[in-house]
Amino acid sequence: MDTSMGKLSRRMRKWTADILDLPQDVAYDLPRMIMIGDRQLYIENHRGVIHFSSEQLRLKLSKGELEVNGMDLIIRTIWTEEVFIEGRITSVNLKDGEGKR
Amino acid sequence: MNEGWLPRLRGIVTVRLRGGAQEELVNDCLKDGLALWSIRRTSPEEMEFAVQVPDFFRLKPYLKRTGCRIHVTRRRGLPFWLRKAAKRKFFAAGIVLFFATMFLLSSLVWTIEVRGTERIKQEDLLAAAKAEGVYPFQWSWKLPEPSLLAAKLSARLPDAAWIGVEKKGTRIIFQVVESKRPDAAKLNSPRHIIASSDAVVTRIIADKGRPVVRVNTKVKKGQTLISGTIGEPPNTATVVADGEVRGLVWHEYAIVSPLSIQTHVYTGESKTKWSVVLFGRALQVSGFGANPFAQSQTQEKLENLGWRGLRLPAGRLKETVMETRVEEKTLTREEAVQAGIERAKADLMSKAGADAVVKEQKILHEKTDNGKVYMKVLLEVDQSIVKEMPLVQMQGE
Repeated sequence: MDTSMGKLSRRMRKWTADILDLPQDVAYDLPRMIMIGDRQLYIENHRGVIHFSSEQLRLKLSKGELEVNGMDLIIRTIWTEEVFIEGRITSVNLKDGEGKR
Repeated sequence: MNEGWLPRLRGIVTVRLRGGAQEELVNDCLKDGLALWSIRRTSPEEMEFAVQVPDFFRLKPYLKRTGCRIHVTRRRGLPFWLRKAAKRKFFAAGIVLFFATMFLLSSLVWTIEVRGTERIKQEDLLAAAKAEGVYPFQWSWKLPEPSLLAAKLSARLPDAAWIGVEKKGTRIIFQVVESKRPDAAKLNSPRHIIASSDAVVTRIIADKGRPVVRVNTKVKKGQTLISGTIGEPPNTATVVADGEVRGLVWHEYAIVSPLSIQTHVYTGESKTKWSVVLFGRALQVSGFGANPFAQSQTQEKLENLGWRGLRLPAGRLKETVMETRVEEKTLTREEAVQAGIERAKADLMSKAGADAVVKEQKILHEKTDNGKVYMKVLLEVDQSIVKEMPLVQMQGE
């Protein structure tokens, strides 16, 4: 989706988002994460599971990859765009250029 | 984990996954809308997740594509519970039977309560209710509408002014308001009204029957005043004669009236005795000694202890002994005569009735002798002279 987006359309989107004061995740199709301490993590806008073990979960994003490290990880529930993880989370890494939220 | 009622209704299967591209399988399933949850790694090669029974049957093509193998570890929810229940037939039947019995028993009428009846017999009301289909151990759904039932019961029981029907669970309550009825008239046999004494009629009003005499007629004792036979000779009927007849009656009294009367008067001297009363027994505490007075009257006054309208069985008794003295009072002849006549009148009133009126009084003869007045008085009294005489019917005609 994002790959097919031209430079112009990307600028248009940024301009619209600035004018309308839209949240960035809506504007750029970015993942949104809600983390409760080290025990719960709620991620929106993922693009599928790449790897899952009790120590690590790697999720595909619209751009790049999200890596969740921890112990005893469980996917409580998973839908096509959302995932709810429980366990003892030690780190959340975003790969491929995007910054950590 | 709490899944909510819908997945439980459909049944939940916990599945263990072995080999193949397991993440791929999860992604594929999500893409096609299969709901997976509680996904965890049990070992590096094995993964476990929960899925609803309908989704479980759709898993097969994905398994084939990704090369995974599954193994069911846990089954929960209604379908599995039902299968278990099917194995325990008698237990399941018992549960069903219990609820069925409970339902049936609670839809029976168990008791019928009647409230507010005094004259109407409960049996009569219950019989009427039974006739309308309301009796113990009747099915509640067979009961007529309460308002309809109330109307029908009222029609069956004329003595009830209003009947309220209320259903409370397995209880039917009849609230009855009885109609007020005048007292039934006393039954009398046919009779005449006759004169109770010789008199001159001053007033005659026949409520029932035929008046025979008129006002100012002189009547003898026993003479018919209002006849109980009405109609012309071939077509007569007897009735209960009733009415008001008053007449002037003469009463002669021989009176002896003393010229002096003795009265007791208090001298003012008194003595007080106190007693304590407990449980109806009195114990004297003061005023001991013999009665110092030759003639005396005693007044008793009991005071009970009480508290907020509650009478306690304790109190005190005050006895006042008061000295009296006999005083003789001499009357004049007129006073003695007057006192005698008053006594005669009081006696007359008790005999002739409270509505009697003394019209005239005449002293026929008067004599003073031995300190007493002897006299004869004639009192003319307007009084009721009604007396009833039953009519004896000729039998065997």
